[in-house]
Amino acid sequence: MRVVIAEDLALLRDGLARLLRDNGFEVVDAVRDGDALVHAVMRESPDLAIVDIRLPPSFRDEGLRAALELRARHPDTAILVVSQYVEPTYAGELLADGQGGVGYLLKDRIMEVGEFVDAARRVAEGGTALDPEVVAQLFSRRRADGPLERLTPREREVLGLMAEGRSNAAIAEQLVLTIGAVEKHVSSIFMRLGLPRSETDHRRVLAVLAYLQGQD
Amino acid sequence: MTTRLLRPFRRAETYRALLFYVAELALGAAGFVVLVAGWSLTLTLAITPLVVPLLIGLRAAVGALAQAEAAVARKLLGARSRPRASSPGRGFWNRGFAVVRDGAFWRQQAQLLLAWPIALVPLAVLSWAAELITVPIWHRWVDSRDVVGLFEVDSFPESLPFAAAGLALLIALAHLLGPMSSLSRRLAAGLLDDDGAGVGRSREELRVMRLRSLTITSLVSTAIAGVLVVIWAATPTDYFWPIWPLLSLGLLVGILGWVMLVLEHPSAARLAGGSEALAIQVGASAVLVGFLVAVWAVTTSGYFWPIWPALGLTLLAIVHAAVVYARRHRRIEVLEASRAGAVDAQESELRRIERDLHDGAQARLVALGMSLGLAEQHLGKDPDAVRELIAEARLGAAEALEELRDLARGIHPPILADRGLEAAVAALASRSPVPVSLSVDVSERPAAPVETAAYFTVSEGLANAIKHSGATQVTVRIAQSDGVLFAEVGDDGRGGADSAGNGLKGLRQRIEALDGTLWISSPEGGPTTIRAVVPCAS
Repeated sequence: MRVVIAEDLALLRDGLARLLRDNGFEVVDAVRDGDALVHAVMRESPDLAIVDIRLPPSFRDEGLRAALELRARHPDTAILVVSQYVEPTYAGELLADGQGGVGYLLKDRIMEVGEFVDAARRVAEGGTALDPEVVAQLFSRRRADGPLERLTPREREVLGLMAEGRSNAAIAEQLVLTIGAVEKHVSSIFMRLGLPRSETDHRRVLAVLAYLQGQD
Repeated sequence: MTTRLLRPFRRAETYRALLFYVAELALGAAGFVVLVAGWSLTLTLAITPLVVPLLIGLRAAVGALAQAEAAVARKLLGARSRPRASSPGRGFWNRGFAVVRDGAFWRQQAQLLLAWPIALVPLAVLSWAAELITVPIWHRWVDSRDVVGLFEVDSFPESLPFAAAGLALLIALAHLLGPMSSLSRRLAAGLLDDDGAGVGRSREELRVMRLRSLTITSLVSTAIAGVLVVIWAATPTDYFWPIWPLLSLGLLVGILGWVMLVLEHPSAARLAGGSEALAIQVGASAVLVGFLVAVWAVTTSGYFWPIWPALGLTLLAIVHAAVVYARRHRRIEVLEASRAGAVDAQESELRRIERDLHDGAQARLVALGMSLGLAEQHLGKDPDAVRELIAEARLGAAEALEELRDLARGIHPPILADRGLEAAVAALASRSPVPVSLSVDVSERPAAPVETAAYFTVSEGLANAIKHSGATQVTVRIAQSDGVLFAEVGDDGRGGADSAGNGLKGLRQRIEALDGTLWISSPEGGPTTIRAVVPCAS
């Protein structure tokens, strides 16, 4: 699996490259700003680009802008955005085109190497990975009469994991349930929230997100 | 040929224009009286609080006259003009300042001053033409037999050329009325029409409009003076009577010009201790004294009576200067206090950050290092213990990161730098468990410290509402107008917010350091409103 990395701090860039190589990825290029990232992706056509949000020259959201540009110009390359902080607004922008192959994680998650590598693979294969922190922030605006109140605590747990982009199997493993039980919860959630049923994992994420972001 | 010459006489526009100038003559005379009386009273009382009601009254009178003129211009000339009759402003002093700063007010005055001399021209020509045309009728009854003071007319045939000249003049006037009235129409539209003008106009536009009205006023004054001198020269009068209108016009242009100079060049105001009002008063007083001295000189001197008004004006200027200096002194005290507050706030903020780092991230990194050290010791001996220690270390690193992130957000939220105030406040609102109705109206991005202050006002207000008030609805409003940024958070909770508490105290210091004000209303039982107003002049 071929990867391009965009990260301005050499320490993190080299560390990330090493971590990915050790886990069977092929790091074809590692660049330090948004323009270089766009060029590298157009040239190498990698399976995945891992992008830091804050990049030179202005150290604002260059990485995110480059990522959005790549989504439009080169949709074949999946994008995993990593950052020191997360904003649900940015998650919405990344997921706006309704295609899969997008992830948005805190840099903290890289420390849990196994999970991070899983998430990178999932994104590269067209899935989604959304940081639990984003999901938590979306869930934090639970209103007394809000739609989330219609769910049971267990269903809320399942919904959170779904929003992160986990498959039914992964959810079952995490919550120590059978896959059948998870499927039952999922269809119950879709029904209670009035969402259209969908089969693929990233479609489910999009539905959940669209729903959560648009609830107020 | 004849039909073309006479065409204007068949057109209603010609008579409408004539009617317009008759109306202008009356309104212009009223305007002149109002302006002279109003301004001399206002300037004399400029240092007393009475100046504000006087200004408002003058504004209303000028507005009413301008509306009357505009109505006449609309009816008779079809000019697009709808003047504003008042200058919006809040608070006692601000209403006075609003009047002075209102471009519409100055333009309406220019129009009132211009109306009279302009109207005089066609009406004078008309009466002159009427006089000439009727020479054949009245020449035999008039003893002096002077026509226009130059010619003697003794018989009917001799009078005929004058009648012809009068007719020619009348025809010329009829032809001139068209272009003249279109000029007047444009003038009325330009000076009187302010559908929403003045509101939301930039400083630069107001400046250009002020300069334009000064130019027009001085040009027209010069033209009037020239016409009067020519009339004086053409008539066999020894007494130089145009000195009176000349002096009055000089007084007007002098005062107006001085006001413009002070507004244009802040260095002029700096001479007067940085107060534009004082500089204007001193300059206007000087011009007024000059005027009075000239009047004294023209009226063949004698007792030097202008000494008394001069002394009175000097006294007023001294009192005004004392007020300006006292106010400046107080302002310096306020600045010193708010600066001390800002230094305090910065100091305690730095101390808080240091403490957070010390107790949080630093401690966690020490623990992490210890875990790794232990793991190193156990390496190869006890793989299970090593795994546990490394997992512990990773957990510690994650927690340290989380604390650093919270700390960074508290210093300056990344989304504010990335996307600006609206996006940052929207992000705050979207994280709130209490429903927030948000309205942000900020046209140009304010300076970074102002933006940050507004952001923290909202974040503090929201935190207050969420944590303590038990509110079910929060309203956040951010707006920008007249050089201030305004941020308000209101909730329907039970009130009782502690304005001496750390959060609000820090916020107050932050805002006062920017020369803004923080207003907190939170009675027991609610509701709570927190409002910050910060100057953000670009």
